[in-house]
This record gives sequence, structure tokens and C-alpha cells, in this order.
Amino acid sequence: MNESVLSRRSQWAEAVTLYVLCGLGALVISGLLVTVVGASWSDVWNALVDGSVRKPGRWGGTIGVATPLALVALGTMVSNRAGLVNIGQEGQLLIGAAFAAYAGANMVGPGPVALLVVLTSGALGGALWAGIAGGLRYWRKVPEVLSTLLLVSLAANVVGYGLKNSWLLLERGAGLGNRNSVSEQLAPDTRIPHWSLWGNDFAMSAVAVVLLIFLVSWMLNHTLWGYRLSVVGQNQRVARRFGIGETAEGMKSMFISGGMSGLAGGVMLASGDFANYRLVAGFSVSIGWVGLLVALVAGQRALAIIPVAFVFASLRTGSGFLASTGIERRVTDVVQGLIVLALLIPPAIMFIRQRRRALSASRSRV
Amino acid sequence: MSGGGSASAGPPPAVEVSGLTKNYGAVAACDAVNLQLHRGEIHGILGENGAGKSTLMKMLIGLVVPDAGRISIDGASVRIMSPLEAAQLGIGMVHQHFSLIEALTVWENVALGDRGKLSRSATRASVAELGEQYGLRVDPDVPVGDLPVGLRQRVEILKCLRRQPEILIFDEPTSVLTPEESEDLFASLRQVVNQEDRAVALVSHKLTEILSVTDRVTIMRNGQVVNGYQTDEVGAAALAQDMVGREVRLRSTALGNLGGSPSEAGEPEAEGRSEEISAPTVLELRGLEVRGPEGVVELDDFMLSVRAGEIVGVAGVEGNGQKALVDALSGLQPVIRGEVLVDGEVVEMKRLGASHEAGVAIIPEDRHDSGLVMEMSLAENLMLADPEGFSHRGVIDRGRLDALTEELIERFGIMCTGPHAPLWTLSGGNQQRAVLAREMTSNPKVLVASQPTRGLDVGAIEYMAGQLRQAADDGVGVLLISSELDEIFELADRIVVIFRGQITGEMTRATATREKVGRLMGGDLL
Repeated sequence: MNESVLSRRSQWAEAVTLYVLCGLGALVISGLLVTVVGASWSDVWNALVDGSVRKPGRWGGTIGVATPLALVALGTMVSNRAGLVNIGQEGQLLIGAAFAAYAGANMVGPGPVALLVVLTSGALGGALWAGIAGGLRYWRKVPEVLSTLLLVSLAANVVGYGLKNSWLLLERGAGLGNRNSVSEQLAPDTRIPHWSLWGNDFAMSAVAVVLLIFLVSWMLNHTLWGYRLSVVGQNQRVARRFGIGETAEGMKSMFISGGMSGLAGGVMLASGDFANYRLVAGFSVSIGWVGLLVALVAGQRALAIIPVAFVFASLRTGSGFLASTGIERRVTDVVQGLIVLALLIPPAIMFIRQRRRALSASRSRV
Repeated sequence: MSGGGSASAGPPPAVEVSGLTKNYGAVAACDAVNLQLHRGEIHGILGENGAGKSTLMKMLIGLVVPDAGRISIDGASVRIMSPLEAAQLGIGMVHQHFSLIEALTVWENVALGDRGKLSRSATRASVAELGEQYGLRVDPDVPVGDLPVGLRQRVEILKCLRRQPEILIFDEPTSVLTPEESEDLFASLRQVVNQEDRAVALVSHKLTEILSVTDRVTIMRNGQVVNGYQTDEVGAAALAQDMVGREVRLRSTALGNLGGSPSEAGEPEAEGRSEEISAPTVLELRGLEVRGPEGVVELDDFMLSVRAGEIVGVAGVEGNGQKALVDALSGLQPVIRGEVLVDGEVVEMKRLGASHEAGVAIIPEDRHDSGLVMEMSLAENLMLADPEGFSHRGVIDRGRLDALTEELIERFGIMCTGPHAPLWTLSGGNQQRAVLAREMTSNPKVLVASQPTRGLDVGAIEYMAGQLRQAADDGVGVLLISSELDEIFELADRIVVIFRGQITGEMTRATATREKVGRLMGGDLL
């Protein structure tokens, strides 16, 4: 007993040391980068913190960005469990947003119901888009890595086409002379209600997503669904022998994964944090890609999505304040990459070391 | 011809290997192997999978560097550090798995590895010329991907022959060929040897092939050379015994008679079980046909039945359909024709998990491949047999699962840190116990055990043997598939022999002799 407690403590120490070292490394490189560009890194830091959390009303906006990031990451985690590499969240999100926008423009009904329909349509759209890749994988043996990725550019073009045609998505009043490809604005009563807390304003969807993360996390670890998903993801021959169909489980997880990205698109639209309740060209603004990074960093721990999504959202909202420091805002993309590395390297090292230890322990035992 | 050094008269052997050793960790893949290949001879190297044949050949071709020992080519001692050096010494190898690029044409593949300027016309001409000379005609302009496997092998051989090697090594060349294609291949091999005085090594685990083609044969087992013959002086039975006759590790404690010769053992037990002959049939296979990935027939009109409480041993040289049999019964390979009956009822093998539900337990040959999920915990692996039983409305009852896992850890003596230990932290023997524990808790009617003791140490082997016997005593029909004759003679009540995907012989334990089984394994009919 004592031994295992001790080893747990030393494992903690190891983890903390590794994370601190890698975090410092990322900070030093980021600092160097900023210095080379000719800015002061303390200015940059202040601008980032001001823009993301410190200035009045900013952290509400950061939550608004973190919400879809977390949804995308959660969906990614589900498909990862089944051993699928879905990297087309950006497209699934965009299609989801388009479905939501179409539903919003064409739904008549009481507000809450309409909102529900808007969000459901978003999820449906994303699920459908991911389902194409899933179907290709299981019935045509097309690697889902390729198909999900290629479907991203297809999604952008499909939505672009929709935004040029008023029978699809283009705002109706706009007329032929209108060069702005924007959709109808969501009616005020089909928008997600916002809360105000200490001068910060954020959509209620954030709370719902946190609850959803807890729910999915629990389901992955405590239900037969989560169990089957893991078996399929790790050994398909064993799964098949015990009657767990990889096609059924894989398709389900693909639908869920895409559905969550699509829902993220719907939430982006209906929360108004992104384009004032309208679908516009380039609406997805890389939320799908960054969400993928969030999932990468969070690994298999669903709850870790919450802080990671918040940090990545902070980089995005904070970068808006960088202009005053005379630095290109895209520097944050590099910083973001460094953070990903700093957070991914320690678990990799720990995994290798732990495995080695466990193997030598089991050898000496038997 | 240096002339000096060789004890025998005449020229030194083309290849002489002495004391060649290669260890992988604690396992000796090749242990002080001696071998001579002579010019003008086809030398068969026979042994089961894992006997060390391939490692030996890889050392000759420079893919593996030996730990100890000497290699001489034409009497001169050499060190072969890479395939390139081997090629310079005139050694060429045709690999078991093709090293061809499917998108390229035949002549392009043949030219691969050439240096200097690439000449299309010269290469095409040489393909045609060699093809004519050895009867290995192939159209040089066809993409290799469009060729059937037999022709692909020709390309592989042409590629090798074009470099004019004096010493040719063929590693399991017929594993993907039809009988006709094999005959063609051997005819051209004979020509290479007789007309051009080259030395050929033919690595194979197929007895008939070795007997019909080679001049001399060396048998390997467990990394060592166990015997060598002039091929025309030896029969299939002797070769089969050399190949599989391992020291009897099993029986020593199980039966308590150390050192007795295997053919004399086990009678009392066989008689003890004879009363159960009237027990109901729990597994019946009627005319099964199973094909491999390339459409090769692996089981052909396969018939077998197992009664409750008996152990049926399936003896046979590996690669005669054993894997297809287990995979088909596991539901991992489709049954094209025929029926599987468990307890008298037809199992709908097309449905996922049907055989498991019908009560067929499997101890697979490779537990990592189809037995266990290595990254999951022991408890989660044990749960596979009945996930619904450990859950309520889709929610897993961890408490109950852990309790049962503790119980099984106790009952099957699984050494681990607890129910939540990831499976990869367990040793091989304990992983095998985990498989056994899971399969037995689902109260099977049939237990299919494929090479259940392979790779285990002595204690684990004894334990496994005892458990199989226990299962039979409890009324389970046990199908034991093993390439170790000792294991079969030790455990089985009835012995059947599998050869080329069919049962070629069946006998009770009392009437079976190693000679008879050995002959059947080699392809003779009773």
C-alpha cells in the first residue's frame, strides 16, 4: 500500500516537473520570438491578458469562443475512442451552422421551439457531413483522415454557394445588387439567452456545454456504449468475436462527432458571439481546427477540455488587443502551437517512462 | 578454389556455416547452427514456424548480423553486413513476401536496385532472355499489380536471377502458389542447379515439397539443427517427427512418469474416457469451406465433430488450415459453405458474435491479435464475455465487475496488481490465464484451444494442460489444435490430422501412434 502511495507521489512530482519545464520552454521561445519581432514581451503579455480576461467584459467574450471549441473537442474525443481520425470538424461545423441558419430563416413558431430546431438542425448537418466520411470508410474503405479533411473544402464551397442564392441561405431582402453574402439574421427570440455576470455577458450555451462534457465523460467511462467504443477502437478482431460491430459503433461515433461540431456551428450562430446572428462567408473562423488542437491536448480526459478550451479561447480574444503593441496578431498562432507542444510532450514522456517501469516491475514480479 | 583448409576432398562447399548464433533477448533464434550448401544441389531446410529457418537465411543475406559463428563462401571466410555485400558475394534471395512495387511494370521492377544508367531495351531483353532460358516467361510491360501471385513470384525470381547469383535462397516460395505453379517453379529450379552448377537453399515447412524437390535436407527446431539427411534416404514420417518432436515437458509432472517415450504414454487415461463415447455431440462441422484473403482455399469440405467431455486433438504441420479453422469458429473469417452446429443447432456464423453466443469459447493462437485488448484493464477484458451481464440499463456495474474479477484472479491464479491493472502489465502466462478465465466463465459448450501453450514457460504449460483436462471433465467439448505432437498425445482422447485444409485421418488415442500421425501429417493417406 505504502509503496503505491509513494510511487503516486513521485509520479505527481514527475508530471509537475515536466509540465513546468515544457511550459517554461514554450514561454522562453515565445518571448524570444516577440523580442526578435521588436516588441516588448511584457507588453504583449499584458495585451493578451487584457484582451482575454482582464478588461471589463472580456472574459464573457472568451467564454463565447471557448464554448464551440469545447464542443468540437468533445466530439473529436468520441470519434477518437472508436479509433477514427476525424479531422474535418471545420467543415462539419460550417455545414452545421448553415443548416442552423436555414432552419432559423425558415422556421415559424414560438421562440424556444424555434431555437431548439435551429440547434438540432446544426447538429444534424454536422452529423450528416461526418456521416459521409464514415460511410465512405466503412463501405468503400476510404480512409476517414482523407475524406473528412477533403470534405472541409467542399463544405466551404457548398456554403458559399448557399450564401449566393436566396432560395438557400442568402438574405432575402438583399436583392441582386447585394454583394454581401450574408444570411438572414436570426429572429431575436430564436437566439440563445445571455447572462450578465459582473459586467460580463455570455450565452447560456456555455453552461449547457459544461454539463454536456460531464455527461459524455461519465458515459464514456461508465456505460456499455463507451465500453464498446473503446473495444472497437483498440482491437477490432476481439470486438468482432464478441459481437461488437465496428461499422455500427464507428458510424455512431462519427455521427456524434460530426453532430457535436455541427452543434458548435449552431451555437456560434445562435449565441451571436461570432457574426451577429448571421451566417457569413468564412463563418467557421478556424474554430474547428483549434477545437481539434484542444482535443489533442486534452487527450482522453474529457474534463480537461474545459480549461484547455478556455486557454485557447483566451489566446484568440486576447490577440485582438495586440495591435497596440505593434505586433502582428497572428503571433498568437505560433504561441498556440508552442502551448500545444508544451502540453503534449510531458504526457508522451510520462507514458514512455511509466510503461517502461511497469514492464520491468511485472518482469521482476513473475 | 583455394584448395586449403577443407577436410573433405574436392572443392569446398559453396556455403559453409558453422556455429552461427543469433539471440533475440533471452531467445536463441539460431543456436550454433552448422550447415553446408553444395553446388549442384537443392538443399531443403525444414522446420516449423519459428524454428529459426528464416533467421538463418537472413544472416546469409546480410539482413541480420550474427552474434557468433562463421560463414565461408567457397572456402573463404566472410562477414556479411548488408544485402549489398551478400549480392557481391553472389548470394541472392527470393523472399517469402514479395518486394515488388505494384504500380511499376515487370521490367521496371526487375531493374530496381540497378546502378548507373537505366536501359529500358536492355532490361526488357534480359527479362525475355531469362524467361526463355528458365521457362519463366512474363510480359515485361505489364504492371506488376495486374499479375496473379504466381507470376509475381516469377518476377521476383527473375529479378534475383538477373544478377547471376551463385547461391540462391528461396524462402517459403510456394506459400502463395497453386500446385501447378509450384511445379513450374521447381522445374526451373532444377535447371538452375543442374545446368549451371549453382547452389540452392529451399526453406520450407512443407514436407511433400522438401521430399520431392531437394537433394539433401536439414531439419531445424527451436533454433537448432536437429538432423540432416540425403533426401532419397528418408521418409515423410521421420521428417515430421524431427520437425515437431519436442522434448516432453508436459507429461513429466502431469502424468508423473518422467522420461518415458511419448508413444507409450497415456493409455490409462484414454481408457478412462472411453465410457463417454455416448455423450452428445456439442460441436459439429459439416463440409466447411473457408478461403483466405487471396481466395486460396484454406478449409475444404471440412468435417469434424466433438462430443461433450472429450478432447479432440487436431494434429498437423502448421499452415494446413489450422488458423482458418480457428478464425472461422471465432467468426473472424467467413464460412463460404457448410454448417457449424453447436449442441445440435446450426449457428448463423454470418452474424457478429454468433459463435460466442452459441457457447464456443476460444483460446486463440495469438492472444494479442484476437484474444485480449492490451490497453484495457483486466476487469474490462474479463467483461467482454458478457458486457450486458455487468450492466444495468447500459450502465456498467463496476462494483460487481471488480468483485468477479477479484474472484477470477483468485481462482485462476492471475498475478497482477488488481482488477484495474492494464493487461499489458501482465506476463504472457498471466495474460493467457486471463483469456482462459474469461472464456471459462461464460460456461461454454465447446472450448477451442489453438496452440494454447505456445511461448509459455513450463509451469504455465502444466497449468494450461490441467485446465483443458478440467474443462473436459466438466463436460465441455474441447478442440485442441496444436503443432506439438506431445501435447496432442498427452491430452487428446481422439486425434484427427489436418492436411491441406482437410481431415485426412482420425483415430482414438489408444490406436494412435506417432508414426501413423506423423505420416498423415506429411500427406500420406491411411
